[in-house]
Amino acid sequence: MEAASSVQRLKVRHGKIKIRTFNRSTFVLQLTLSFILLFTIIAPFFLDYSAIDIQTAIFYTLDNLKMMFLQPALNQVTLGAALYQILITLSLAFLSTLIGAVISFFLSIASAKNLMPSYISNIIIAFNSFIRAVPTVLWVLIFAIVAGLGSVAAVLGMTLHTIAYLTKAYSESIEDIDNGMIEALRATGAKWWHIIVHVVLPQTSSYMVSWTFLRFETNYGVAIAMGAAAAAGGIGFELFMASSFYYDLHEVGMITYFALAIALILEFISIWIKNRLIGSR
Amino acid sequence: MPQVLTMERKDMTEYKTSENKGQQGETLLKVENLYKSYNRNTLVLQNVQMALKQGEFVSIIGPSGAGKSTLLRCINRMIDPTSGSILFDGVEMTTLNKADLRSQRAKIGMVFQHYNLVSRLSVFENVLHGRFGYKSTLQGVLSLFTEEEKKLALEILDKLGMKEFAYKRCDQLSGGQKQRVGIARALVQQPKLLLCDEPIASLDPNSSKVIMDHLKDISETMGITVLVNLHQVDVALKYSDRIIGLNKGSIVYEGIPENLSNMAIRDIYGSEIEDLILE
Repeated sequence: MEAASSVQRLKVRHGKIKIRTFNRSTFVLQLTLSFILLFTIIAPFFLDYSAIDIQTAIFYTLDNLKMMFLQPALNQVTLGAALYQILITLSLAFLSTLIGAVISFFLSIASAKNLMPSYISNIIIAFNSFIRAVPTVLWVLIFAIVAGLGSVAAVLGMTLHTIAYLTKAYSESIEDIDNGMIEALRATGAKWWHIIVHVVLPQTSSYMVSWTFLRFETNYGVAIAMGAAAAAGGIGFELFMASSFYYDLHEVGMITYFALAIALILEFISIWIKNRLIGSR
Repeated sequence: MPQVLTMERKDMTEYKTSENKGQQGETLLKVENLYKSYNRNTLVLQNVQMALKQGEFVSIIGPSGAGKSTLLRCINRMIDPTSGSILFDGVEMTTLNKADLRSQRAKIGMVFQHYNLVSRLSVFENVLHGRFGYKSTLQGVLSLFTEEEKKLALEILDKLGMKEFAYKRCDQLSGGQKQRVGIARALVQQPKLLLCDEPIASLDPNSSKVIMDHLKDISETMGITVLVNLHQVDVALKYSDRIIGLNKGSIVYEGIPENLSNMAIRDIYGSEIEDLILE
């Protein structure tokens, strides 16, 4: 009796039992996917190719890529100068990550919903999403109004974006802490700062370090772009000179390889740190 | 009870602030007309009255959702009661300001179902967390514990059979071991009252017995009042000096275990009596 009535409630289609029911979220998902598909198909028809012969375009692109990546060479910059410029780029990234991380730590405590009243955290979260919505380049250019184009504006802009990013990342790992631990310490009569230092810090430090390093990698990439776009110096500026000023594709290729090598090294270091931290204390 | 425990008792009492060693008599906690509601429609606690004496072992039993945890948390004001009075150690708890509440909480230890230890810290560090109620902000932040406090922590760990694990990280312990660390953290506060919220609900029968034996020993030898929330009626019958039955936020039974008849259990658990596993 009971089994029969429960079977009747099952959704059956073409004699087969459905395992998923149609609801709002699947509807929205399917709608979004079909729109993306539609635009992908119709977009190429609206592009204007009239001035370009596709065959020669493809040929020249491949030729340029060959010049860049198969025949890299340094012509205007020496090897030592290139390495020095990379160091400058790394310092830009390092500085903005460091300043950003310190400020983010305090902001993330203030914006974690399990430590602070929600109106304070909501204010910070709203501020953060505003800062994150504006691209880093734009922040750098905004700061350039007061600081002038250069490394100061670049660090300020990158720091601001880093703060917004890391505050979110940190506060999410703080919110993941088991509330029981905080409750247990409150019950002993511990003060708020005791809980921060002895519960929040030990439970989140490994996540915070790996988030910070991830942001450092991102900032390294951004710092290269800032060198080109905001005259912040470093390898990005050399890249800009080689491509737009000297039109030297060989050198563009070589600098790209340099940047890539450093990015790979950073990646390895980050994996190593993560394994050390999450593995054991 | 293990022999070791009785041997160590003498050293323990030296560190106790309380002058009483187990004799019952003085009223430590008096709860009167306690009401708690989370919203306008439902009362979680209704007109709760109870009085606990020094060194007493009292169990609160009742079905899930009866308000056992809420009652416990109202006592140290982890949850603020809606109305009523809680007189603990001569101080009215409900009207305390933040700083006074903190020093009052230091005198009340709490033990949790899920132990609530900071998993990435060592056993030793977790036990010392119990001293924060006596510390200033700076002392606590910089972990400035005196040698006496460290010795006290080690002695309590030794008493609970956990001394050898002092430097072990808490996420490497078993449930029973974690709960013993939880008890040690509460004892290092040198409390007058120990609130235990379902201390054995996540433990196997063996560990449960060890934990309950320790709690009983604490109330008998250290003169600390122990108030335990329990699911298991048989455990409550075996260990308690007194049993309080809670149903839908009201006390429906209060008395010694011997007087807890099947009728009374029926009153406490109501229609859920069928789900109760007895013996």
